[in-house]
Amino acid sequence: MATKTFTTGEVLTASDTNTYLANSGLVYIKQQTVGNGVSTVSVTDAFSSTYDNYEIIYSGGTSSVNNNFNLYLTGQSSNYYNVLLYGTYTATGPSIATTNNDRAFWPWVGGGFTTNGNFARVTLLSPFEAKYTRITSPTYQGDTNAGFMSGVNKTASSATGFTITSDSGTISGGVIFVYGYRKA
Amino acid sequence: MTRPNIQIDDEVREMTAEEYEALIASGWTEEGTNDLAG
Repeated sequence: MATKTFTTGEVLTASDTNTYLANSGLVYIKQQTVGNGVSTVSVTDAFSSTYDNYEIIYSGGTSSVNNNFNLYLTGQSSNYYNVLLYGTYTATGPSIATTNNDRAFWPWVGGGFTTNGNFARVTLLSPFEAKYTRITSPTYQGDTNAGFMSGVNKTASSATGFTITSDSGTISGGVIFVYGYRKA
Repeated sequence: MTRPNIQIDDEVREMTAEEYEALIASGWTEEGTNDLAG
């Protein structure tokens, strides 16, 4: 049972406490502190059969230049497709689209600033399952524009980890957190 | 220039020449030139 409604006066047992505290929707899996002056950070053993879908959150630290972050799955070096829809804060018109057609990574999953820190939030659907992996990320957030990215990796294979890279310069510090969406 | 570092879990080390070549091939630049900057 994934949830339970307790009644007034009911004894809260250790078993119930352990079970239902653990039955939260989003479950912490692991975290990785980012080192100094890195352009590539790989996080291993993040995905497994325990969860199908995941959230990756990165914040803190700084970048040597203002940059965008890319992400790719461990062992999958091609078949990455995605679209970025974004607009500028001062524009009244519709978003601008830019695309990625079959590269070695997904661009625009986040970014970093020299003074205001690094950031990324990524949702991955089914990276561990032997089928296509879907991605969304709302953290294309610059000083003058912002947008959302959505895409797919058309490789029907399983990945257990991921790598975040900067598209320019290096990143230092901050923590990458990985969470899984509980299935039951 | 000094090659950037690569990190795998808690291990941080300087990139090898081969890893640096692959990074450059991916479009990476030392200086920020992207449309997020600014």
